[in-house]
Amino acid sequence: MSEMREQVRAYIVDNFLFGDDNGLEDSTSFLESGMIDSTGILEVISYLEEQFAIKVHDDELIPENLDSVGNIVGFLGTKMAAA
Amino acid sequence: MLFNRDVLKIDPAEQLEILSGFIVEQLNAVFRRKGVVVGLSGGVDSACMAAIAVHAIGREKVSGLVLPEIESNPVSSEYAAKHAESLGIEYRTVDITSTVDSVLSYAWRDQFIQKLIPEYRPGYKYNITLPTDLLERDSFSFYCLQVQMPDGELLKKRLSPDEFRSVTAFANIKIRSRMVHLYAEAERRNLLVAGTTNRTEFLLGDFCKYGDGGTDIEPITHLYKNQIYQLADYLEVIPEIIDRKPSPDTFSLPVSDQEFFFRIPFDKLDHLLYAWEHDVPARDAAEVLGITEDAVKRAFRDFTTKHRATAHLRDGIHEVKKP
Repeated sequence: MSEMREQVRAYIVDNFLFGDDNGLEDSTSFLESGMIDSTGILEVISYLEEQFAIKVHDDELIPENLDSVGNIVGFLGTKMAAA
Repeated sequence: MLFNRDVLKIDPAEQLEILSGFIVEQLNAVFRRKGVVVGLSGGVDSACMAAIAVHAIGREKVSGLVLPEIESNPVSSEYAAKHAESLGIEYRTVDITSTVDSVLSYAWRDQFIQKLIPEYRPGYKYNITLPTDLLERDSFSFYCLQVQMPDGELLKKRLSPDEFRSVTAFANIKIRSRMVHLYAEAERRNLLVAGTTNRTEFLLGDFCKYGDGGTDIEPITHLYKNQIYQLADYLEVIPEIIDRKPSPDTFSLPVSDQEFFFRIPFDKLDHLLYAWEHDVPARDAAEVLGITEDAVKRAFRDFTTKHRATAHLRDGIHEVKKP
């Protein structure tokens, strides 16, 4: 889980924060902080599907699953356990 | 001001005088042009804009351009022409299909869509839509491509960001082609291009840079869509335009503004937007509008995200600051 967390975190920092983690915490909301907009969230989904070989369904595209590093890690855990 | 259901009510006569004064000042003192040209889409915003201009400077100084392309809804041009005739302004129709095709061809677009949905064939209708139930459930804004098969069945595919950008880039050529035609007309005849973006669109960024956002003046950006309808009634815009559902009319398969961009029904959208803009507490807005506080908070978050993501559309030119 911690390796997954680091992978996700590194992707967010590299692609949306220009390499500066800028106080990013596991619970930081991407949308409310303005770090990532709604199109950016779709980039994150493409990354998750490719990197972790999962399929994110339309009804799973909710902030509870994807709006922070912590939410993503929890969501990935659930998806992979179900696979 | 206390937030209530009447908060968007305007005095149309008073607004008309404010708008007329603005247009006269811009025309005579700022731009020094001979008149105004308005792109008539067959929608309520451009219909109001033309009527306002007629009130301000007289019908002989207002010109309308109806700018359909091959995939436009035919009633749009029909209603636009009918409204122009009711105003008594000079207007003409220019088919912009060849302009659009010269930038990026419809054939290229067809091949692109066929890659996404192999059953698609040239001539089939398509659009892109967002989930429209934001007040009922939480979700991110993701676009689905919809293709209508000959038997009416809708095939859907969620778009990746790159796919969305390609579909949008083609659609925006249509909007930008209209800007090119409007400026050709305006420069040739020494006219002003009057924009038709209302406050709802302006705040949330529902307009296209150098497209419908490419204008000389934007007189109605202080009026929410709800208030545009109040003006339309007062100005006696034809009922066909007032009664039709607002649509970008950019895709061959009809799509409403709610499906394409706003995600919230129009009967609540403007009140929610007003509440967001004026820092009305979510609890108060929920009570007045008869929806849950969570629904209001979702709407507010969506507004904040859209407003932030489209700030560059409302900014002036980005340039190096002088030391």
